[in-house]
Amino acid sequence: MTTSVISADTTPGAATAARGSIELRQVRKTYGDVVAVDELDLVVQPGEFVTLLGPSGSGKTTTMMMVAGFEEHTSGSVLIDGKPVDALPPRERNLGVVFQNYALFPHMNARENVEFALRMRKIPRAERRERAEAALERVGLGGLGGRRPRQLSGGQQQRVALARSLVFNPAALLLDEPMAALDKRLREHMQEEIKTLQKSLGISVLFVTHDQDEAMAMSDRIVVMKDGRIVQSGPPEEVYAHPLTDWVASFLGDTNLVPCTVLERHGSEAVVDLGGLGIGRVQDRGVVGERYAVSIRPEHLKFRPGAPEENGGTGTMVSSTNLGATIRHRITAGGHELQLRELSSESTGRSGAAGEVHVGWDAANAQLLVLEG
Amino acid sequence: MKRSKTTSPRPQGRAQGRALALLSLPVFAFLVIPTAIVVPVALNDSRYITFPPEGVSLAAVQGFFEDHAWTTALSASLQAAAIAVVLGVLLGATAAIGLHGRKFPGQPAVVGLILAPMIVPTVVLALAFYQFFISVGMVGSIIPIGLAHAVIATPYVYLTTRASLAGLNPALVRSAQSLGAGALSILRHVYLPVILPGLVSGALFAFSVSIDETVMSLFMQSPSATTLPVKMFTDIQFNLTPKIAVSSAVLVTVATVGLLLQVIYVLRRRSTARMLPLAV
Repeated sequence: MTTSVISADTTPGAATAARGSIELRQVRKTYGDVVAVDELDLVVQPGEFVTLLGPSGSGKTTTMMMVAGFEEHTSGSVLIDGKPVDALPPRERNLGVVFQNYALFPHMNARENVEFALRMRKIPRAERRERAEAALERVGLGGLGGRRPRQLSGGQQQRVALARSLVFNPAALLLDEPMAALDKRLREHMQEEIKTLQKSLGISVLFVTHDQDEAMAMSDRIVVMKDGRIVQSGPPEEVYAHPLTDWVASFLGDTNLVPCTVLERHGSEAVVDLGGLGIGRVQDRGVVGERYAVSIRPEHLKFRPGAPEENGGTGTMVSSTNLGATIRHRITAGGHELQLRELSSESTGRSGAAGEVHVGWDAANAQLLVLEG
Repeated sequence: MKRSKTTSPRPQGRAQGRALALLSLPVFAFLVIPTAIVVPVALNDSRYITFPPEGVSLAAVQGFFEDHAWTTALSASLQAAAIAVVLGVLLGATAAIGLHGRKFPGQPAVVGLILAPMIVPTVVLALAFYQFFISVGMVGSIIPIGLAHAVIATPYVYLTTRASLAGLNPALVRSAQSLGAGALSILRHVYLPVILPGLVSGALFAFSVSIDETVMSLFMQSPSATTLPVKMFTDIQFNLTPKIAVSSAVLVTVATVGLLLQVIYVLRRRSTARMLPLAV
């Protein structure tokens, strides 16, 4: 689907000129003295699912609203299908938008909601009815077109919102935390459904969320935002496995962060002083004498039979919590509180045991991260 | 199985409700009786206004509707009210929509200006309007009275519309925009369904404000523009007939019918909302 859109023509700009691309060039948004979004560069390729991930106030929603045209950017340029849309009002941008609480028209039934965009485009009644029914069918709501939004469940309302935003063949789809109002089980189900729909339509999606699991599950690419800037951008696995800073590591999944200083370097390996945890070795870059943080994901921290000489230490168990599939242990060692997560099925029954424990990690699983705060 | 305990406090609640009803009754009577008393007086079989009535007769009512001076006054009142309702709804509703969700320097002043006619003493407004319409040469018809009534009706429509707009989800406007709707389509498909109840009650307020208004109508009256309250006021000084009571009864009836219509409208909206089965 996407391959046909991105043609063999590899001249710069050719890919962005293809249908469905969204591009932001040096986009900046200020409210008085407050900088909401700062010199943002971002490209969503045709057919790509890109997630803007960040805490509230990171500028992700503002960025999306600028793409949709609801917010005016202070400087920079937004391009859709390779054409600048800065001067276009939202209704001429031809983007499907799904809002946080779906924003369905309460006095219209599901089919009328879906038909709305076609009606605005002066499409004849018979055709728009047919297309609306087809769109509802595609999201699994065939036969429910006559229901009012308040007669539909949260998940159904969301499907109507999706059908409504897709029925007029928009250039791309913008989704603003569309799953925030759903319970966990339904949310996971809808994640898969939206992803499947997006793949089968080959439509570009710009997705906004603060939910890292959602971002991991759905995205082709995650763009992590903080304070109006992009901190890191890449495929979900890469961002998770190789976060650029300590902040990204702790925002995208749980992690243990141990402050450290680089003592010496041997080729690609750095020896670090972990304070109370002694000496560690990491496969990473780093400047001798500089302060960093070592990040060890809880699933990579392991119990050791004896006190490790490096990459670990001895401490005491604070608590153990059984989360069903996994058990989360909290351990204090060397003045740090560490989190260790193990599969319940592989648990060695330490759960209840208080007292001294030895923990450690493999050098390959530790990351040396730039301190950001 | 959880068993709720909500059944036990109910008798106490019922007793409280009864006590409240008992207390409310005299207050209710105090408010309603002076208004209701005009009806028996209007139906009195007498050539003068007397109470208690001496017999029941529709003679005065018939006399009222056969008297050209009175029917002209009623018609003048209805014309002024029509102008007040149409203009008041247009101005009040557009002001409420225009100011909705917007913040700009001087906005409180704009709102204050819209609401000012509710606060400024009517006699001051009456004098101002009188002088203004004299200077532009408009006195002598019902139009200036209708325009003046529109000014005092507008804040009511503004307030009821603003109240109904509080229930508007701002994302609805954005989603309509993203789906390709222009300003007029948004007005029709997003704003109108939400503000309709506010518009209806605002229009009824505007109507009753205008029908009831005396001071301004008195200042701007002329032989060809005498509203019902003005006619009542001038007649009561030298021509005390039961027709005055009839005209009061007419006003009370018009107001009551208007109120009932509104109640029916609200109840119907509620019941249609309730009749729709909710999703599980």
